[in-house]
Amino acid sequence: MRNIFVPLALAVFLGSGAILYAAGQAPMPADYDEDTYGPWAPVIWVKPVKSVIFEHKIHTVDAGLDCDSCHDDLFAMEAGAAEENDDFTMETLYAGGYCGACHDGATAFASDTRCTACHIGVRGHARIVGSGDGQGSGH
Amino acid sequence: MKIDELEKLPSEDISTLASAERRKFLRLGLVVTGMYLGGTVLSLTSARNSQAAGVVPEIGKYPYSPHYSMVIREKLCIDCELCKEACVKTNHVPAYGYRTTILERRRSLGGDRFETIFMPVLCNHCNRPPCVRVCPTTATWKDEKTGIVVMLPSRCIGCKTCMTACPYNARYFKEETRAVDKCDFCWEAKLSKGETNTACAEACPADVRIFGNMADPESRVFKLVHAPETMVWVLRPETGAVPNIYYINT
Repeated sequence: MRNIFVPLALAVFLGSGAILYAAGQAPMPADYDEDTYGPWAPVIWVKPVKSVIFEHKIHTVDAGLDCDSCHDDLFAMEAGAAEENDDFTMETLYAGGYCGACHDGATAFASDTRCTACHIGVRGHARIVGSGDGQGSGH
Repeated sequence: MKIDELEKLPSEDISTLASAERRKFLRLGLVVTGMYLGGTVLSLTSARNSQAAGVVPEIGKYPYSPHYSMVIREKLCIDCELCKEACVKTNHVPAYGYRTTILERRRSLGGDRFETIFMPVLCNHCNRPPCVRVCPTTATWKDEKTGIVVMLPSRCIGCKTCMTACPYNARYFKEETRAVDKCDFCWEAKLSKGETNTACAEACPADVRIFGNMADPESRVFKLVHAPETMVWVLRPETGAVPNIYYINT
């Protein structure tokens, strides 16, 4: 009896924790295939400014792009690789690099418009990731 | 005067008063009463021409020189909060307070689509500051030359009435000094030492905050709010505080 109880309690504890953790974000639908459409979880860049959000779903499922539309020419597959580059700036986007390849005003809305469509800020970052360092929520 | 002579004079009672005279008197009374009623009780006419021309004062009517103000190009704000970081560092703002912050609101684009609007806020350095009016110890006042609403912490008794009076929630109580603290357009940290820009405006990577002298027609702040076809607004104009932080979307 006891042998069953302990793992059961552990499973309930971890399970409810995972559910609570995921409650902040929309759960992934069953028919969403991450191998085809990219990771469900949003990519969040914090450099050079906090914070910019990218969702694969909007670009693959909604806009109909393939993986090789962006990978590996514009973006490396490795998560967070782009923000380590010194040229990951708005200037590069305006010149057609990174997001700017499509976000040029012709294919998709221009990079110098609708700033807050991608820039979620410190507040948005804290909402999704949680303000781990306490700095964001303190001020 | 003798009584028999008085009796010969014409009577002054209402039997001899001409009807027209009586009406004239009555009308005068009504006019006087009506003026008072119309002017104050009923307010049929406004007491003064208030703000009919908009929130930006007419050219040449800036009461201070330099008339420091800030123009905020709201739609460019991305809430990176580098302005807040710079302000905290420059003015030694503790973690529980702020001199400037970014507010956030969501606007419906129809359906389930929304857009986020980030709104930087700070002390509006009002021309008629409600905080100054309520301070019992004159610890805060509007500088006669620059128009900056400044604080003298040593005179502040910490009653926090100014915090309640401020329409912009731009004041906080600083435990370290036991006094209320607020934005002074970096007067103490920078402007009084010969610098010309505030820390927040300097730090902004998106050119959202533009600080300058509104009384100077050559300044960028002046040109921005006086540009053709520009919608300029201020926060909470109904308070009558006449704020000096102008918001535009160009």
